[in-house]
Amino acid sequence: MSIIQQHTAASLSDAWRTIDIDRLIEDSSINFDTKTLHPPLQETTDAEVRAINGQVRQLLRGGDSEGALRGCLELPVYSGTEATKEAHLHTVIEVLQSIKASEMTPMLQRIYATPGGSECLDVLMKYLYKGMAATSSGGDSSAPRTPTRMTPQQTGFSQVGSRPGTTGESTGAAMSVLLSWHEKVVDVAGLGCIGRTMTDWRKV
Amino acid sequence: MAAPEVHHLFHNPIADHSFSADRKTLAVARDTTVELYSKVGSAFKLKDELKGHDKTVTGVDIAPNSGRIVTCSQDRNALVWEPSPQGYKPTLVLLRINRAATFVRWSPSEQKFAVGSGDRVIAVCYFEEENDWWVSKHLKKPIRSTITTVAWHPNSVLLAAGSTDAHARVFSSFIKGVDARPEPGPWGERLPFNTVCGEYLNNSAGWVHAVAFSPSGDSLAFAAHDSSITVIYPSGPDLPPKAVISINTQLLPFISLIWNGENEIIAAGHDCEAFRFKGGESGWQLSGTLENKTRPGLGGGEREESALNMFKQMDLKGKVKDDTQLKTVHQNTITTIRPYESSGTSVKKFSSTGVDGRVVIWNT
Repeated sequence: MSIIQQHTAASLSDAWRTIDIDRLIEDSSINFDTKTLHPPLQETTDAEVRAINGQVRQLLRGGDSEGALRGCLELPVYSGTEATKEAHLHTVIEVLQSIKASEMTPMLQRIYATPGGSECLDVLMKYLYKGMAATSSGGDSSAPRTPTRMTPQQTGFSQVGSRPGTTGESTGAAMSVLLSWHEKVVDVAGLGCIGRTMTDWRKV
Repeated sequence: MAAPEVHHLFHNPIADHSFSADRKTLAVARDTTVELYSKVGSAFKLKDELKGHDKTVTGVDIAPNSGRIVTCSQDRNALVWEPSPQGYKPTLVLLRINRAATFVRWSPSEQKFAVGSGDRVIAVCYFEEENDWWVSKHLKKPIRSTITTVAWHPNSVLLAAGSTDAHARVFSSFIKGVDARPEPGPWGERLPFNTVCGEYLNNSAGWVHAVAFSPSGDSLAFAAHDSSITVIYPSGPDLPPKAVISINTQLLPFISLIWNGENEIIAAGHDCEAFRFKGGESGWQLSGTLENKTRPGLGGGEREESALNMFKQMDLKGKVKDDTQLKTVHQNTITTIRPYESSGTSVKKFSSTGVDGRVVIWNT
């Protein structure tokens, strides 16, 4: 018996190299719900978010923007519907937009120095990234988050300029607020803060 | 504080290193080989190369008393190198894993070693006299992802492991006939093989890079990719720990950490320098770097530039200052730090190696 007879079309081609063997192993990470690795998070309801929003607005009207910022960062929405998360993002951005550039760094430093302040700034960083993702993908939060237009771009640089349907100016303004906050937060909480935003499983 | 002793061995990353007990031999993992350096005067000279792996070597450890070297590699094998007058003789260890081996350490008793792997198991290996063969037993549950690091308890039974599923765990690796029955302690009383004595996760849950037991073995520290270190004080079997203290830092993540006594931890990693943490059961804090930033010789920043030199730099490189050098001793990520010289439970000197191919011996 020749060994050549044992070759088949399947063994001669290298298609077997592309088999996703992880799918075939019962307890591999693909066949496993990674959510069970973490303790479950408490769900935040729409009403709670609106209540926070009300309190934060009241603090803002009263001129206590630091309290307002703390207020919305201490109760982040980790678990809830997409609309609830969106609503809380709006509250945070509203507060961020109402704070003057000169007040940012001293305020962040005061928050960072208090117990639990590092955690607060991590939460702020998460909202900054979420805000940037939202403003760059749709502008309006009620629009679907997934890009609707799938046609390839003419050049790589026209992505921002030629997007149809976005109100270029308000997006740009919101983005510049978020970017200047981002810079200030990194100054105070360091690069570790960005690392935590990326590794954390508690997504806002 | 005396200046650190710097040895630049080569321009390759050092995955792991280990000194022999007399500190005359240094083993470093370089690519697919392990290089043995011996100290000649104040420099390290290449003495021997251990060739046996055919993929990147990920871990190397020299047993302090027996002088045996264990290595592990991405080729899924571990080798035990027995010293003999003719040189080191390798013995293959059957790990029974089908992913890369990532980390290896001898137990303090030197009877066993533990190999972490990408196969979601830790292989605990021991020598079986009757078969004249190293065999392995697997710690499997409840690991959900790659094991990045392991560390032994002083009693050689408990084993801490860090994983990319963001958990640091403490297991029992008790092997009948090899280990003496351990004293009951805060981690547990009866400890059959694969008892999970603790499973810890910090709030932001980055994957774990390093774990270490304190000198007494009664507390555990781990460093994770969220730039934090977490210290755990267990209170007893099946009880929640007395204290879990997490310190989030402003720095880049730490890759390696060691204890210096019960109240100090030294950690180093992506920031290319070592940092000191101080504290105890009531709280921990970052107390500063071990680097002396104003060291002469390396501080290119403060050097006076002549006008000619300045214009030359501007012409050649488009900038005035040559800022290609970091201000730290290591010029790239530190991957391993290990105690070098100890007295009692405190570390007098420790060694670090990194991606830049340097071995540095620091005074604590």
